[in-house]
Amino acid sequence: MGRSSGGAIVISMVLLLAACGDGGGGDGPGGDSAAGEGGTLVAAISSDPEGLNPAITTSGGTHAASELMFSGLVELDADGEPTPELAESWEITDDGATYTFTLRSGVTWHDGEPFTAADVKYTFEEVLLDLHSRTAASVGNNIESIEAPDDQTVVFSFAQPYAPLLQQLDVTEAPILPSHIYEGTDPMENPANQAPIGTGPFEFVSYDPGSEVRMERFDDYFKEELPHLDEVVLRVIADEASQLSALEAGEVDWLFGAPGPERERLISDPAFDTLETQINPGGSNCIMTVSFNLDRPMFGDLDTRRALGHALDREQFVERVLFGAGRVAEAPISSGIGFAHADDIELPAYDTDEAEALLEEAGWVREGDGTRTAQGVTGVEDGTPLAFDFLHFPTFSQYAELFRAQLAEVGAEVTLQPLEPPVFAETVFTERAFDTNIISYCNGADPEIGVRRMYDSDNIRPVPFTNAAGYSNPEVDALFVEAATTLDPDARGDLYGQIQEQVAEDLPYLWVVETESTRVFDADCQDFSPSGHFAETASCG
Amino acid sequence: MVRRPGGVIGVAMVGLLVGVGLIGPTVAPRDPFAIDGPSLASPSGTYPFGTDPLGRDVWSGVLHGARTSLLVAVTVALLVLAVGTAVGMAAGYRAGWVDDILMRITEFAQVLPRFFLAIVVIALFGPGLDRLIVVLGLTSWPLLARVVRAELLSLREREFVEAARADGAGTMRIVVRELLPNALAPALVVLGLVVAQVLLIEASLAFLGLGDPNAVSWGYLANQGQRVLRVAWWPAVFPGLAIVIAVLGCNLVADALNDALGARR
Amino acid sequence: MTRRYVLIRLAQVPLTCAGIVLVGFLLVHLAPGDPVLALAGDSGDAEYYARVRADFGLDEPFLVQLATYAGNLVGGDLGTSYTQGRPALDVIAERLPATLLLTSTALVLSTVVGIGLGVAAASRAHGARDLALGAASLGLYAAPVFLVGQLAILGLALGLGWFPVQGMTTARSGATGLAGFGDVVHHLALPALVLASQEIAAITRLTRTGLLEELGRDHIRTARAKGVSERAVLIRHALRRALLPVTTVIGGRVGHLVAGTIVVEAVFGWPGIGRLLVSSVQARDMPIILGVFLLIALAVVVANLLTDLTYAWLDPRIRYR
Repeated sequence: MGRSSGGAIVISMVLLLAACGDGGGGDGPGGDSAAGEGGTLVAAISSDPEGLNPAITTSGGTHAASELMFSGLVELDADGEPTPELAESWEITDDGATYTFTLRSGVTWHDGEPFTAADVKYTFEEVLLDLHSRTAASVGNNIESIEAPDDQTVVFSFAQPYAPLLQQLDVTEAPILPSHIYEGTDPMENPANQAPIGTGPFEFVSYDPGSEVRMERFDDYFKEELPHLDEVVLRVIADEASQLSALEAGEVDWLFGAPGPERERLISDPAFDTLETQINPGGSNCIMTVSFNLDRPMFGDLDTRRALGHALDREQFVERVLFGAGRVAEAPISSGIGFAHADDIELPAYDTDEAEALLEEAGWVREGDGTRTAQGVTGVEDGTPLAFDFLHFPTFSQYAELFRAQLAEVGAEVTLQPLEPPVFAETVFTERAFDTNIISYCNGADPEIGVRRMYDSDNIRPVPFTNAAGYSNPEVDALFVEAATTLDPDARGDLYGQIQEQVAEDLPYLWVVETESTRVFDADCQDFSPSGHFAETASCG
Repeated sequence: MVRRPGGVIGVAMVGLLVGVGLIGPTVAPRDPFAIDGPSLASPSGTYPFGTDPLGRDVWSGVLHGARTSLLVAVTVALLVLAVGTAVGMAAGYRAGWVDDILMRITEFAQVLPRFFLAIVVIALFGPGLDRLIVVLGLTSWPLLARVVRAELLSLREREFVEAARADGAGTMRIVVRELLPNALAPALVVLGLVVAQVLLIEASLAFLGLGDPNAVSWGYLANQGQRVLRVAWWPAVFPGLAIVIAVLGCNLVADALNDALGARR
Repeated sequence: MTRRYVLIRLAQVPLTCAGIVLVGFLLVHLAPGDPVLALAGDSGDAEYYARVRADFGLDEPFLVQLATYAGNLVGGDLGTSYTQGRPALDVIAERLPATLLLTSTALVLSTVVGIGLGVAAASRAHGARDLALGAASLGLYAAPVFLVGQLAILGLALGLGWFPVQGMTTARSGATGLAGFGDVVHHLALPALVLASQEIAAITRLTRTGLLEELGRDHIRTARAKGVSERAVLIRHALRRALLPVTTVIGGRVGHLVAGTIVVEAVFGWPGIGRLLVSSVQARDMPIILGVFLLIALAVVVANLLTDLTYAWLDPRIRYR
């Protein structure tokens, strides 16, 4: 490996020099004002974006490829706290139900038109609350009105206090579209979806489906001096290993994720730099979670669920599936949401003796090394084997393989069923035809975004990625309502603490690992951020 | 046929495949699914073929995989042989409207791109060896049918068939006694290719993430290995070699058979 | 080969296509899973899903959907891609040139090289060259394409630096004109070779087998006895008839090449319909799946048509009714 990465460095430097030469010579105003500091960044994305309008979809592919060209009202800093972006400042009434935003002045769209409050009002009312599924489901279900009293002011009014709004206004959850392009058209069919006009740091140049998206520095970007790069090219490379080969050959400079087995090597390789983050294009603060279908008599018994929890060696998941890019989940809410994560929860620890004892107690008996069978298990016919299916996305196959192997140790027979996301969602949430499954539940920046849906009994419904377990506890329901309408973060934190204690006791899920993503980039490029605007402040060479 | 070196090697390879397929799982030292050793241990005395990223024994996997691969290949081959030869002979000998109809059906089955169909069926209905066998069996025969027919179309004009016909031989008799042996050589060559293709398609589907994860097959193992190919060659290369040997064996045996039959003529 | 025969064969094409459309449509509709989920992503609410369903006509009965689809098809309308919200035909057309370039290069490469190597092997049967070629082609034929591709990338692209590791163009240069063409050819070389490798091996084998069979026949012995040179025997007398099975196989292999394209495009990041297809199957984007299906089928129909015509030209004794 040492030899080939040495070669890779040489190649990448040669290519970089060539690229800088091209950019400086040919590129007009962009090249002039940012002379010498810019360069071209080539980033690998793992799927074709299939469109470049981030407001009409939550698809990770579309978002990864388009967010650099758009802006949100706010952006979220490293701690998930909102900082000004299109909105310069904001005021929240004491009852927490009205938010008044003052917009930055002098912002222009990539086509030169001025950005105004009408754009914000249009984007929310006609696009986001209709077509952006997360924002439609959260903000959309609570909002009363959005008003634009003048060009610089937008007012969001809610019937009840609504605490998490500011976390939902970044470019991922609420990118703002130009109303002068979209108004009066069907936003799904507007040609600008393939050639977008935004207010972001980079403006669109070309989109070659299945191959690449090219964009160049937007000279009138509202953040002074930014961006530094002259050009950003997003290259579609589906396979992680191929992405890494392309990085080593100098064909790309930036990967959104490092292939597990090579993560350690990349971190220590001086030719590359890395950036650890909880943010993924699909959502942030994700926990790989095993759901029990509580409608199944087999999982009606708490001891059985607890036993299976003890059978899981979660450290092994961190070591052999994540290769260190994450940690064992210590509580039902991600440690990435500081105020809500509880640090004193006791989840079943790895202990196969305890697991086997609990299974015996529950009536699952075992002869030799075989699969256990029921003998006096409540609601289960005697002689039924302890065998069940495990549904997963094909991309999560390594979790599934390890899960099956670990449970086999205590006499449970697991059949893997990899299903593409649309089929998975229907099988689990509409038909409820599964015994167990694994889902990456992304908690988001606030428990209201991604946690509540997992436990709320109203969320046992045929909608994807809601309450997969079919868990229902009136106490927990009430606590979630209270937490959503409480404004004081400490008080909210207490409520979420109580929720976590209760669900850890009821164990409708097994929280396996919190996943992290490792961005890898050529050491000649610097100053990236983990957010959607990852290349806003970056420069190469 | 065993007088030729290629034939001997081929028979040995196919024999190896069949032998390992029959007894492999019983002599495998470990459960191929169990987490048994360290992650990505390189080949050694303990783990002759090394371990995969999860720490599973690749050697035991290859031994178990032989049975699955053998099962799939043999079942598909039988389906193909039955359907393909029957259709090809009927069309090639009878000609006229029978040929017309059979060839339209063959053409139709042939334009159904089988790898694509297998992808769609498995992606839509979920992975499983049963549906893979059905899809491949029901779509792989046209090539065989066409080659058999082509051979017959050409043969039936030949003197010896004319002669048999002049002697008043019945249709069935001519087909079985005169045409079948002559059409067998190209048919067997094609069958060798088909079995090879089946093993390769199974592996390619697994590569695209559409294999059955509950049956240890070489395709499954190669897929498990290919994602770490850059850091460890053994989890992908050993199952890959197993595929190469099995495919090679089938081809060599088909070749040798072909040569032998050609010589007899 | 009469004009009537050609006309009949041409008339069969739309009928075959209709059958293909039906098979594909049935398959996609009978499968479990709901295409609406591909559109709406995760965590939308029920009303939102209902609206998307209505917008895309997904709540119409099956036959209505089929009739609508077939009707539109006649007018050249493949429907609207669920995931991209634009005509499926446009989406497919954008990806088609890349795949055509890759497959046609591989087809020409494999035919020319395969027949050439087959002749080379048969001209000195059981000699050293024949054995080496035989071993090489058997080995290549037996190796899974994805493994060959990945090893080629690791060895020839990453290790030796002779070829780019992925894609169809160099991201940084944006070269056009002759330089751009050269860039594409440089990127094309390795995937086309890998895609062609199995075909080369197969055609080499078939050509050799056919030639040897022909060389053993009486009329060849007669020709040799008359003192015709070995080269002339091989090319003029044997090859023409030996190509008979090879021709049927080349036609049939167009479908196989397209299948290989799916894997090769995935390995090399080639932006063609293979990758479009895989992502569309995952997203259950029916108009795209059916469109690609129809396209591949059409290609194979045309390839078979050409094969049959070539076949008649090569062996005039075969009479068509």
